Amino acid sequence: MTTDVSYLERKAATTAIKPGDVIVAVLACLTLLGVVAGVGRLVLGLGPTTGLNDEYPWGIWIGFDFLLIAFAGTGFTMAALVHVFRLEQFKDAVRPAVLAGLLGYTAVLLLLVLDLGRPDRFYHFIISWNLHSPLFEVSWCVLLYTTVLVIENSPFLFERLNWRWPVQIAFKIMPVVAIVGVTLSSLHQSTLGTLYLNMPHRINPLWYTPILPVLFFTSAVMAGLSLAVLVYILATRIVGRPAKVEIVDGLGKGAALVALIYLVMKVGDLALAGKLPALFALDEMSLLMLAELGIGVVLPAALLLVPTVGRRPVVRWLAPALILAGVFANRFDITLFAQRAPDGAIYVPSWLEWLSTAGILSAVALAWYLAVRFLVIFDSRAEEQYHH
Amino acid sequence: MKPTTVGLSRREFVRTAGLTVVAAAAGLALPGKVSLAQASQESFSAPVGVLIDLTRCVGCESCALACKRANGLPNPDVPPTELSAGAYCYVDERKVTGPDGETVTQFVKRQCMHCLHPACVSACTVGALTKTPEGPVVYDRSRCFGCRYCQYACPFGVPAYEWRNPIGLIHKCQLCVGRLRAGQEPACTASCPTGALRFGSRDMLIAQARAQIDSNPGRYVNHIYGEHEVGGTSVLYLSRLPFDQLGFPVLGREPVPRYAEAVMSSTPFVALTVAAIATSGYLLATRREHKLALVKSETRGPGGLR
Repeated sequence: MTTDVSYLERKAATTAIKPGDVIVAVLACLTLLGVVAGVGRLVLGLGPTTGLNDEYPWGIWIGFDFLLIAFAGTGFTMAALVHVFRLEQFKDAVRPAVLAGLLGYTAVLLLLVLDLGRPDRFYHFIISWNLHSPLFEVSWCVLLYTTVLVIENSPFLFERLNWRWPVQIAFKIMPVVAIVGVTLSSLHQSTLGTLYLNMPHRINPLWYTPILPVLFFTSAVMAGLSLAVLVYILATRIVGRPAKVEIVDGLGKGAALVALIYLVMKVGDLALAGKLPALFALDEMSLLMLAELGIGVVLPAALLLVPTVGRRPVVRWLAPALILAGVFANRFDITLFAQRAPDGAIYVPSWLEWLSTAGILSAVALAWYLAVRFLVIFDSRAEEQYHH
Repeated sequence: MKPTTVGLSRREFVRTAGLTVVAAAAGLALPGKVSLAQASQESFSAPVGVLIDLTRCVGCESCALACKRANGLPNPDVPPTELSAGAYCYVDERKVTGPDGETVTQFVKRQCMHCLHPACVSACTVGALTKTPEGPVVYDRSRCFGCRYCQYACPFGVPAYEWRNPIGLIHKCQLCVGRLRAGQEPACTASCPTGALRFGSRDMLIAQARAQIDSNPGRYVNHIYGEHEVGGTSVLYLSRLPFDQLGFPVLGREPVPRYAEAVMSSTPFVALTVAAIATSGYLLATRREHKLALVKSETRGPGGLR
């Protein structure tokens, strides 16, 4: 299926304006607007520029942080499959995913600079410790894991520049780096769930459970496998080569299986806690959770696991996209919609929050697109050359 | 790196409990306000607290203004109407239906509860919040980087952020820890003209509150708010009306951070387990690869690997 499309794309590329150029222009404009919005926040402070208040101190920036870290879990998931467990059949999909991972974490760091009350003190978690704090652990893991991602991404550039020694060193240390990355990711992906365990008085009981760390880790893996499918398909289209069906189907099936594990844990936990009546109460919160699980977990898992349906071209990208939508909903629900503020205060994000978020997301999407086009994302000749 | 003090060790607990039985007996013998000397002495022997008797509060707001002056907060002559970066306590005027169906005005002084096992202290990314052995939960503004996690962890919605400051920080009641260490009581309790705010050792205050409930039937609901809520708080309340009607959150006896701290203490175990699984997975996979390569080279003859 992809061969035809990429052929057409290559044909279109020879004539007039390339579709890629339009994308680049739009993303660049949004990035510039986001820079303006970000500078506005840094100069004026959080009060005048955001909808945040003492009852809702965290808004869409934090929502996107949680979302991006879960999506960027694609980096450690694919590194684990290929670099650690050596599932060579997925080798072609590892680079687009690890690249998306690095850029996801970059976006998180940029959002945090805007969100922190004292951006000038961003490094304070390094010099001032609190081992009880989930956010302390997350901060350290994000710092260290971003370093890991830089190393994991470095060969893409080194190969483009034909730097033989750095490429060789990178391949030598890659297994160790990947194992460290998987460990750091397992810690902070789950600890993001632990973070919410300190808010039992705010979070709706359908979402609040002591197994939040396990659920956060599992949903990060299913989001990671799903995003790996999408960025792999996208990257093959950008460079104009066919996407391998066995990679797309294998990762999709993996995502569906992890989604089923997530579903069993989530519903089983609700059942054990006697919360099933609340799940099916069909009030606002119950419908929110049912939508999250139905559209984001049950439907895509069913689509991917029923053989006749799962092989249809549209399902190959739609089902992973649904899983990502489910994780999107989950992270925003637990950050905003499933929370009850004292005194019933509300939070309405300001246009500046939206614009700065759009700018940061555009910047990293642009960087991903340009890296796929100009760095070595598929040519694995160098890898084979140095590997044995 | 400053160690965070959360709660007391068992030995400390037994010792202070012994002392406070004596103190409680003394407090019962001499009801009313604790003398300054006694309070300052206790601030170093037993954890202190504040007992707020809502039946005695007349809503004069002396405490809220004294608080602003003691902390050098803006507009020291304007009584605040909510907790904010510019007001560490305020007097909440609640209109509620009384026991006989009449509408009653009840004044409720609100401020940091100074939990015995504070969620804000446990949550703070940079250890800027500390539970002192004397009782106050204090905040070190030189450490804070403004992540605002404490605002979510606090079940009473106490920490407030400077939203108008481009480099804003958190503000909260420190139970006038500076005054305590200088042998004085907090500004709010010192300013109260009716005895609604009483400062002293927490255990003594609980004993006094219990005695007040027992010896004044009908004056109080049989509940000392803060005795057990979220594992106990240093600030305690007595009331004639049920606390949930006065906007007090209904909270269990378990400290808020119980699950998170249990998970966090397993971090080294989780890290080692994941690293061990990943390493053995890698070693097994590479061994299998070598075997496969060997088989291939045997079938293809020498040089089959290339």
